[in-house]
Amino acid sequence: MWAIETRNLRKVYRPLFGGNPITAVDNLNLQVPAGTVFGFLGPNGAGKTTTIQILIGNVYPTAGEAFVLGHRAGALAAKRKLGFLPEKFQFHDFLTAEEFLRMHGRLAKMDRTTLQRRIDEVLELVGLAERRKSKIREFSKGMQQRVGLAQAILHDPDLVILDEPTSALDPLGRRRVREVVQYLKERGKTVFLNSHLLSEVERSCDQVAIINKGRVIVQGTLDELLVNRSVVRVELRRVEPCVLEAAAKVAQKVHPVDERRFTAEVASEDDIPELARAILDAGGALIGLQAHRETLEDLFIQTVEAEGK
Amino acid sequence: MGVIIALTLKEAMRRRAFLGTLIILVTLYGLSFLPRAFKEAFGGDERQFELGVNIAVLFGIDAIKFFSAVLAILLSAGAITAEIERGYLAAILPRPLYRWELYLGKWLGVMLFSAANATLWTAMLWASVALQGEPRVEMWRALPYVLLYPILYGTLALALSSFLGASIASMFTVALGAFAYFSDHFLRPIAAFFDVRLLQQMIWLSEWALPMATLKRLVQIQVDAILPPGFGERPRFGRPDVLEFLNPPVQPLDLAYVALYILAAAAVGLVIFWRRDVQ
Repeated sequence: MWAIETRNLRKVYRPLFGGNPITAVDNLNLQVPAGTVFGFLGPNGAGKTTTIQILIGNVYPTAGEAFVLGHRAGALAAKRKLGFLPEKFQFHDFLTAEEFLRMHGRLAKMDRTTLQRRIDEVLELVGLAERRKSKIREFSKGMQQRVGLAQAILHDPDLVILDEPTSALDPLGRRRVREVVQYLKERGKTVFLNSHLLSEVERSCDQVAIINKGRVIVQGTLDELLVNRSVVRVELRRVEPCVLEAAAKVAQKVHPVDERRFTAEVASEDDIPELARAILDAGGALIGLQAHRETLEDLFIQTVEAEGK
Repeated sequence: MGVIIALTLKEAMRRRAFLGTLIILVTLYGLSFLPRAFKEAFGGDERQFELGVNIAVLFGIDAIKFFSAVLAILLSAGAITAEIERGYLAAILPRPLYRWELYLGKWLGVMLFSAANATLWTAMLWASVALQGEPRVEMWRALPYVLLYPILYGTLALALSSFLGASIASMFTVALGAFAYFSDHFLRPIAAFFDVRLLQQMIWLSEWALPMATLKRLVQIQVDAILPPGFGERPRFGRPDVLEFLNPPVQPLDLAYVALYILAAAAVGLVIFWRRDVQ
């Protein structure tokens, strides 16, 4: 079952007083399996926030369909099972953390007993149990982000959409968010994570989608997308053409960097000893060889740059 | 919806709206000194004391109309678009509630606050006059009509706030009010003596743009019950048809028209808010 599914989703903003229409989302097809932690990535202006706003029902699509937990996006039935932390989350900062959560619990139609229990649980989970009576305006930016996270998971939703949840957080705060994501995953919840901190996404997510110009370019599990893309950085006394030729027979791609260095993309880490042997056999004076498993950041940059060409 | 009403009331308190309440209360209390001041100024004449009471009542009711409308505009104009821009609604709208619930909750919150203020101010005015030994119980009968002022202006400002920022929504509401006031108080007397088609059309248009003159007439009937004959804004001299033009009588459907206008403004605002993107 898909927690989120979009079919040819499209959103065009038409300026009120003339000007060119802006296509924020363009035939976006996305499937997010239930129970996964899903990273939603893309450069600035790729259409991520608009897509999220459509999913939560704040923005109407121009064309196409979006479904959340089997219900049309924006439907009350979908909203009941949805938790959301916006990127620009402004609080009613005259409320205390507890009052703020109580307000959101009542908006989520939670009964009094469950609400009190959940307030205690989520404040403990985000590390703000001792500041429950403090006004939100007295909180640091990181603490405000955490109380925002608490409201997103307060009503025990099946799907939690987090838009840049770690942007204002220090490393300890980020670890706390990772723990919350892990906590949700263990309970079979789906987490849809939009973040520019790719190392965070790589550590937390099972699947990712990279979008650009309103379309999904790449989607898959991290293992599918990254495992076969080991890059080896090779340093020689001098890079001779015959060495590059020999390396190219083993590697999928060879990129000369300068007269002493080149990089080689191999199908898997198992090919690296063979690559070293080929270089030596071709007479290359090997000084260093460093295997570098491609990171999500590498994939992201390559994918987005390739799309831009 | 109760949560949204409570939140709107809390927001009003946060914006120190109660300070406005207190200032008007003190001003209305200050009116209680007016009759004695009149009496003393005219050598202890009891008729001047009576005149002072009447002026206090007239100005007091006008002040309540004006300030309750201003308060409603200030609270309503920033209720939708300004809250979207500030990012408050981004986390509330994904909750399982319809947009009409949020809109109605905001409207009820503003109206409750304005009504509470107008009632409190009327109580203060009544007490101020009663303290002078002149209890005017009839004043309470005017209150439901006076409440129509904040309802009318608040509804209009809220409708405009569904697509305009706080300052522009306030400005448009005040501009419409000013147009209606200007037409009724300045254009109408001119049109009574000069048969200029454009003037007639502007007066007619102002009534459609904002039924303030209709509302004024409805309140005037109640004020007439409190004040002695001939006191107030009504002109007393002139040809009957001119007098009628200057101060048209209340029509049976006037109240229905005001109610319809309020409903229409609320409906337009709601449809716009319902259909707009919130980002």
